[in-house]
Amino acid sequence: MNSYYSFFEEFLNNAIFYYALVVMFSYIFLTFLSAVEMKSYLRKNSYVDYKAILVSPHAPSVSILAPAYNEEASIIDNVRSLLSLHYSNFEVIIINDGSSDNSMSLMIEHFGLEKVKFAVNEQLKTKPLRGVYKSKNPAFSRLTVVDKDNGGKSDALNMGVNVSEKDLILCIDVDCIVEQDAILKMVKPFLDEGKRVIAVGGVVRIANSCEIRDGRLITVNMPEKIIPRFQVLEYIRAFLMGRMAWSRLNGLLLISGAMGLFDKEIVIKAGGYNHDTVGEDMELVVRMRRYMHDHDLRYRVVYTPDPLCWTESPSDAKILGRQRNRWTRGTMEVLLLHKDLLFNPRYGLLGLLSYPYWFFFEWLAPILETIGLICFIYLAAMGYINWEFSLILFSMVYFFAVMLSTIAVLFEEMSYQQYTKGSDLFRLLGMAILEPVIYHPLTVYWAIRGNIDKLTGKTSWGTMTRTGFKAKTKIKQAA
Amino acid sequence: MSELLYPVWDYLRELFSTRLPYFPSNIRSALFIVLFCCIAFIELYLYIFVRRIRQTIAKKKEDKWNDTISTLLADIIIYGDDDDTDTIINHFLPQFKKLPLRRPLIKRLLTRELLSYHANFIGKTAEVLRGLYLRLNLEKEAKAKLKSNYWEKKIEGIREITQMNLRTEAESILKFTDEENGQLRMEAQAAFVKLSDDNPFRFLDRARERILDWHQLVLFEVITKTKNVKIPAFAKWLKSENDSVVMLCLKLVNHFQQWDAIPDMVVLFGHSNLKIRARAIENIGKMEAEMVEENLFNMYFNQPFEIKLLVIEAIGRISSGTYLEFLKSRTYSDDFKIRMAALKAIKLHGSDGKNLLTNIYKDSTLQNRAIIEHVLDERIKN
Repeated sequence: MNSYYSFFEEFLNNAIFYYALVVMFSYIFLTFLSAVEMKSYLRKNSYVDYKAILVSPHAPSVSILAPAYNEEASIIDNVRSLLSLHYSNFEVIIINDGSSDNSMSLMIEHFGLEKVKFAVNEQLKTKPLRGVYKSKNPAFSRLTVVDKDNGGKSDALNMGVNVSEKDLILCIDVDCIVEQDAILKMVKPFLDEGKRVIAVGGVVRIANSCEIRDGRLITVNMPEKIIPRFQVLEYIRAFLMGRMAWSRLNGLLLISGAMGLFDKEIVIKAGGYNHDTVGEDMELVVRMRRYMHDHDLRYRVVYTPDPLCWTESPSDAKILGRQRNRWTRGTMEVLLLHKDLLFNPRYGLLGLLSYPYWFFFEWLAPILETIGLICFIYLAAMGYINWEFSLILFSMVYFFAVMLSTIAVLFEEMSYQQYTKGSDLFRLLGMAILEPVIYHPLTVYWAIRGNIDKLTGKTSWGTMTRTGFKAKTKIKQAA
Repeated sequence: MSELLYPVWDYLRELFSTRLPYFPSNIRSALFIVLFCCIAFIELYLYIFVRRIRQTIAKKKEDKWNDTISTLLADIIIYGDDDDTDTIINHFLPQFKKLPLRRPLIKRLLTRELLSYHANFIGKTAEVLRGLYLRLNLEKEAKAKLKSNYWEKKIEGIREITQMNLRTEAESILKFTDEENGQLRMEAQAAFVKLSDDNPFRFLDRARERILDWHQLVLFEVITKTKNVKIPAFAKWLKSENDSVVMLCLKLVNHFQQWDAIPDMVVLFGHSNLKIRARAIENIGKMEAEMVEENLFNMYFNQPFEIKLLVIEAIGRISSGTYLEFLKSRTYSDDFKIRMAALKAIKLHGSDGKNLLTNIYKDSTLQNRAIIEHVLDERIKN
C-alpha cells in the first residue's frame, strides 16, 4: 500500500511539474510574441494621423450595434456618448431587446423618435420586430432604435445586423464607455492589411472608480475595491499579452463581446450570432474563421492594443462568480460545437494551435488544477506528502505567476500608461503579488462551478448587476 | 525580525547549495525556475520604478524648456504685421540663439514647437517661423534624418521638410516613393505631391508596390486638400498594371469630375479585379454619364451579384428614364437587395419614378410594398 502511495505521490509531483512547465513555456512564448507585436504596432502607428480617416469620404462605413435590455438608468447618456464618437460615416443602432423597464419610452422622449416604415432584410433569423424608430431631430439623424421581442444578446445583435446598412459592424455593450477615437483606430486594420480583415478586437479596460462625465471617461483611477483591482491586472494581462500574441499569430479565437468590429458580409455568410450559446462572441469568431477556411479565403483577425472601451466590472465576488461561470460555460459550448477543429490540419493554425490551446490551457487548466489539489489534500491526509517538494513546486508556480503579471504591468507602463499616479502603479504591482493566492483560487472555483453547471444543463445568462456610472457622474466613488 | 529571517536565509542557502545536487531532477529544475523568477521579478520592479522616476524628471525638464520656447514663440505671434519678414526674424533670432541648441533635447523641443506652430498659422507668422527654422539651421537635421537607417527617422525628416515647404528636397524624397516599407513609402508619396513643382504625380509612373487602402485614403486627402497642386488627367494611369494605382486614380477622377476619363472607365467594366470594376461603375453613376448608360445595361446580366447592385444604383443616379422598365423588371427579383436597389433607383427618377413606384405598389407583394414604403419614407436616409 505504501509503495502504491509513494508511486502516486511521485506521479503527482511529476504531472504537476511537467504540466506547469508546458503551461509556463506557452506563456513565455506568448509574452515574447506579444512584445514583438506591441512594439511593431506602436512603431507602425506612432506616425499615423487618424484625421485622414476622420474626414475621408472613402473611410469604410460603420454601424454601431448596441443591444439594450433594461438599461433605463444609463441609456440616454450612453447613446449620446455613442453619437458623439469621432467618425464621419457611421450610424448607431440601439436594439431594445424587449426591455421591461422604461428604456424605450425614455429614448422616444429624449431623442424625439417616431416609428418609420423600415423594411428589414431578414438575412439572419430573429425574434419578431416591433418597430424601427428614427429621430425627428436632424441632430440625431445617425440614430436608429430597433424595438423587438426579447431574445437575448445574440438575437438582438442579429437584428442589428439585419437593420444595418453599412459595411462594418461594431458590436458593443451599451453600458461601456467608448473612447472618442475608437472607431478610427479599429477601422485602420481593415485598410492597411494585405489580407482581408474579417474582425478587429479592441482592448477593454476596467472603469470602476474612474471619473465619468456625460458618458465620457475623464480621469482614470485604480478601483477602490480589491475585486475590480484584481480584474484590472487580469485584463491588462489578457489583452496586452495574450490577445496581442494571438493577433501576431493570426490565431485569435475570441473578440470581446464588449468591443468588436466585424466585416458584415462575412458575419452574414457565417450565419450571424448563435442563439444557443452563452459564449456567442467567441463562437462567432470561430465560425467566421471556419467560413474563411472552408472557402479557401485568406484572412486576418486583428487586435488593437489601444485602450478603446471601458467597462464597469463586477465589484463583488458573487456577481463576478456568475460572470466567470458563464464564461466557462461559453468556452465549453464553443469547444463542443466546434470539436472537429481539434488538431484538424485542414483549418491550419486554427485547428492545430488556437483550438488546442483553448482546450488544454483555458478549459482544462482549472480542472486539472482542482484534480491536483484534491489528490494533494488526500495524500496529505494520508501522510504521504513530501512537504518540502510540494512547497518548492507551489513556489515555482507562484513566482512564475507573479513574474508574468509584473511583465504585464511593464507592458502597460511602456505602452499606454493609463495609471499615471504612483500610488496606482504601486497598487497594481501589489495585486501581482496577491493575485495568485487570493484571486486565482476564486477564478478556478468559478470555472469548476461553470463546468458543473454546464454538465447539469444550466443554460442561463446569469444576472449581471451593475452599479452604473450615472451615480458617479458627480462624485467619484467605487463601483 | 532578524531572528525570523536568519533561519529562512540559512534554509534557502542550504537548499540552493549543499542540498541541491541531491534533489530529483524536477525539483532541481523547479528551484532554478523559482530563482530565475525571483530575480526577474525584483529586476522588473526596480526597472518599473526607476523608469517612472526618470520619466518624471525628464517631463519636468521638458516642461521647463517647453515653457521657455512657448514664451518666445508667443512673442512672435503677438508681434505686429507692420515690419517685413526679415526684420521680424532678425529681431527674434538673437533670443532663439541664446537657447542651448547644442543640447539635443532643446533642439528637438524647439523643432517640434516650430513645426507645430507653423502648422497652425498662416501668412506672415508662418513665414517668420519658417525663416527662423532655416536661420537656426534646423533643416540640416531634417536632411540628415533622410539618410538615417531607421524608417521612423526618415519619416520625421520627410514630415519636417514638407511642413517647412523645403521644395528643393523633393527629388531626394522621390527615391522613397517606391520603398518596401509601406509607411515610409506613403509619407514620401504624400510629401512628393506637396513639394514637387513640375510633376508631382511622377511616382505613380514608377509605383510597383501596392498602395494600400489606408495609403490611398491619405494620398487622396493630400492630393485633394493641398493648394496649388497641378492636377493631371488621371485617365493616364487607369491603364496601369498596378491595380492600386488604378483604384486611387479612379477615386481622383471622380473627385475632380474628369469627364475625359469616361472611355477609359468603360474599358474597366471588363477588368478582372472586381473592386476596380465596381469603382468604375460607381464613378459613372456619380458622374451621371448618360452616354454610357447603355454599356451599363448591356453588361448587367453577365455580372456577379455585387456588380449588379452597383449597375442598378448607377442607372438610378443617371436617371435618364430610358431604363425605367429594366429597373421595374428588377423589382421582381428573388433577392431583397436587388429589389431594394431597383426601387431606390426608380425613386431617383423624380416624378416619373414616384409615379412608377405608386403603380408598382398597387400590384405588388406585401414585402415589395414594405420596401416601397421604406424607400419613400424620407425619415430614413436612403
